[in-house]
Amino acid sequence: MGNRKKSLLLTLTTLLAVSLTACSGSNSGNGGKDGASSPSATASATASASKSEEKGDGTGWDGQKYATPITLTTVKGIGTNYFFKTGETIENNVMTKFVHDNLGIDVKYNWVVTDTNDAYKTKLRLMLSSGDKMPDIISFRGDTETLNMLIDSGQFMEVGDLFDKYAGDTYKQGVALNPDTWLPVLRNSKKMALPILDYAYNDDMVLWLRQDWMDKLGLQAPKTLADLETIMDAFVNKDPDGNNKKDTIGMAMGFKNGFNVWMSDVSWVFGAYGGLPNQWNSGADGTLSNGSVDPAAKQALATLKSWMDKGYISKDSALKDEVAGAEMFTKGQAGAIVGRNWLPDWPFGDLLNNVPTAKYKAYPIPSGPDGKIGAPSGNPSVNGWILVNKDSKNPEAILRYYNYFFENWANPQPGSAFENGFAEGYDWAKLPDGTITKDPQKYPDLFPNYADRTHLVEPIYYTLTFEGARIPALYADTMIKLANGGTPETPYEKQTAGVRKKENIDAMKIVLDQKDIRMKNYFQGPLTDTMKQKNELLNKLVNETYNKIIYGQSNLDEFDKMVANWKKSGGDQITKEVNDWYKANASK
Amino acid sequence: MRAKVETVGEPAVASGTGTQKGSAWSGFLRRTWPLHVMLLPAVLLQLVFGYLPLGGLVIAFQDFKPYQGIFHSPWVGWAHFRFMFEYPDSKQVIFNTVIIAGLKIVSNIVVPFTFALLLNEVRKQLFKRTVQTLVYLPFFISWVFLGGILNDVLASDGIVNNLLVSWFHIEPILFLGDGNWFRFTVIVSDIWQQFGFGTIVYLAALAGVNPALYEAAEVDGASRWKQTLHVTIPSLAPIVIVVGTLALGNILNAGFDQIFNLYNALVYDKGDIIDTFVYRTGILNGQFSFGTAVGVFKSFVGFALIVLSYRIAYKLADYKIF
Repeated sequence: MGNRKKSLLLTLTTLLAVSLTACSGSNSGNGGKDGASSPSATASATASASKSEEKGDGTGWDGQKYATPITLTTVKGIGTNYFFKTGETIENNVMTKFVHDNLGIDVKYNWVVTDTNDAYKTKLRLMLSSGDKMPDIISFRGDTETLNMLIDSGQFMEVGDLFDKYAGDTYKQGVALNPDTWLPVLRNSKKMALPILDYAYNDDMVLWLRQDWMDKLGLQAPKTLADLETIMDAFVNKDPDGNNKKDTIGMAMGFKNGFNVWMSDVSWVFGAYGGLPNQWNSGADGTLSNGSVDPAAKQALATLKSWMDKGYISKDSALKDEVAGAEMFTKGQAGAIVGRNWLPDWPFGDLLNNVPTAKYKAYPIPSGPDGKIGAPSGNPSVNGWILVNKDSKNPEAILRYYNYFFENWANPQPGSAFENGFAEGYDWAKLPDGTITKDPQKYPDLFPNYADRTHLVEPIYYTLTFEGARIPALYADTMIKLANGGTPETPYEKQTAGVRKKENIDAMKIVLDQKDIRMKNYFQGPLTDTMKQKNELLNKLVNETYNKIIYGQSNLDEFDKMVANWKKSGGDQITKEVNDWYKANASK
Repeated sequence: MRAKVETVGEPAVASGTGTQKGSAWSGFLRRTWPLHVMLLPAVLLQLVFGYLPLGGLVIAFQDFKPYQGIFHSPWVGWAHFRFMFEYPDSKQVIFNTVIIAGLKIVSNIVVPFTFALLLNEVRKQLFKRTVQTLVYLPFFISWVFLGGILNDVLASDGIVNNLLVSWFHIEPILFLGDGNWFRFTVIVSDIWQQFGFGTIVYLAALAGVNPALYEAAEVDGASRWKQTLHVTIPSLAPIVIVVGTLALGNILNAGFDQIFNLYNALVYDKGDIIDTFVYRTGILNGQFSFGTAVGVFKSFVGFALIVLSYRIAYKLADYKIF
């Protein structure tokens, strides 16, 4: 009996313990914040120990590194492109050792999460809502909503002075390339986060045509929408694929996700009449207006409707998102698509699989009846942000870190440490004859301790800045050099020449030749109050009306009714808020 | 189903203690404590994941900001509910939901019921089992896949339209791009996906009908048709009522997975339902409080309808579910 009582007690205690941890784990009503609570107090304690300051600028930096290593706390979402050697983790690997040895910075992760299904974003949001202490820095790449939450939490410092004082020249030049770089993180003209730079012009649009069809039907390069209509007519009616069936269409478009998208795009048709939809365009008087309700859009819709009626675009375009739209091109059904310069890498590989004889070529975006041309310009060469805790002991450390990769990694010179990659045996190896290999599957001896040989282990992805550092102009400059027949000299140029297809390089030249057609979205701020409430209503109104007009389910005059409705349902208010923001932040 | 198991369990325990008097309670505990301990994890699980999160519903009455959390977000009273009903599209969205969900509920009773009756008459066991399994299969495919398949099959140059065009010489039908056809497509594809499951429920009920009833009917000279009419259908009435009652609670759930994977801007006016609407406002625009408010509203309507239909089922069919 006594034994039984004891075992009962044990069971109950265990159950109680389990239930207690379960309860405390979800006391915020959201659940699963365990592990997020390890405070950075210990980290700042060690950081304060580094106040040796023998020489340098008073931060303990001796020009090369922190003489006494400092600790930088952060959090991390490990993406699916992260591969580790056996025994290495994000907390302990060749990169953490390198940064410790060469920069005197110890990176400590308060928590690490595998970033599938937006887990990193979710955990960040949970950390915010549970009021945990923030780490020294947070690198975030993702939706603006979460970025705004982080900024508005008030836990992070203004970085403008920090940037002016500590950022290196390469970083500063990269940021200066685009005057809009700071716009999304400005609050009352204060810069609240450091941009992580990406290659510029990578998101700009070109017109891709099936060159084998063009040659077969003897068609000329399109300059205007009218030229393009001639081409699309021939693609539809002159049997370009030679199967004696009328089964081809002019252009692959997909507007399920809207009328301003990243592939299978339609917005350039609107641009040909003067204004891109679903973004804020700048008018002649310097005020911003929404392109969706611009009179130009009505003309564009009339054009699109005629294309739909004539079979130039698929009857299913409204059902296709960007990728599904592009499939019409890659399965050899459509003869044209508007998209970015890198489409030859993906998804055009599928086109060559499906139609081995296919050839494609990039053309400039055609102009409208009045000679207007316009296409979206994508993001201003920024692909993420770094937020710096206002209580951080060494707020400048992340800039030293980033500077290092800008100077040494972003465009390494021949003979320098990073000429071939980050570390030998990781992302590169040297064969006995002196050639460089990046194939761990073929040379297992040269790439020891690989856990998964199908992927190259690239330690550069472990950096706090995602890819070490990227110089925005470098990609486009290199592509232009190659397009003009230049010989690749630096390691970066050689690598680009090696992996980029000729069509891709030519497309990039077209992008830069017509960079004046870029129409950027002038509103880069956080959602305004009315936007939060009315965006859905207004988007639905616009998308529904556009679609129905193009499909002929509504009359073209429905557009004017839609505009009136848009204005009185909050559109006017939003326009005012957007212009207020623009005056306060952009013009300075 | 779960409710049934529990009610079966309780009387067994109770009958064991019924003979004891005086210290009945302690005797009862002594004998049954392992059962209670075994039940404990389930109860705790239910408390922690089923009931504790209900506290989060308060954000329906707040202007919830994630970085302020539940405890520091400002209270706004009924503002979100007012906004919901003042929203210009609300009527349309609620109407779409009720129409689509209502038609689904009715057809998901009628079709499997009829199919089960027909299948029950089949003499060849192998054929019966094979058909039963085959119609059950779509139930296990997620709408992400089914949506992709339907988008292909029903495209303007897809299989279905190719057949229709070559047989009837008509213009291709935009099954997913025309409001009225969209509702039709949604309901038919939903029946196709669901009816195998319903069929199994009804077949199980059919297997439980007392054979003596049929024998008696046969002795009285009833034909197969008369037997179906007067024995089978009345025997199945209770299960139909159960299924119908439980389904009524879902009158505001028109099937997010399905609609979300099939709809587009062309069919907003006929196909946009509460859940897709909440997804766009609540999740995409970060209006968590508003999304929660709509969820609360939906739950209350669903709860009220279940209570109501339960009462009706009890009154009319004298059938108690719980």
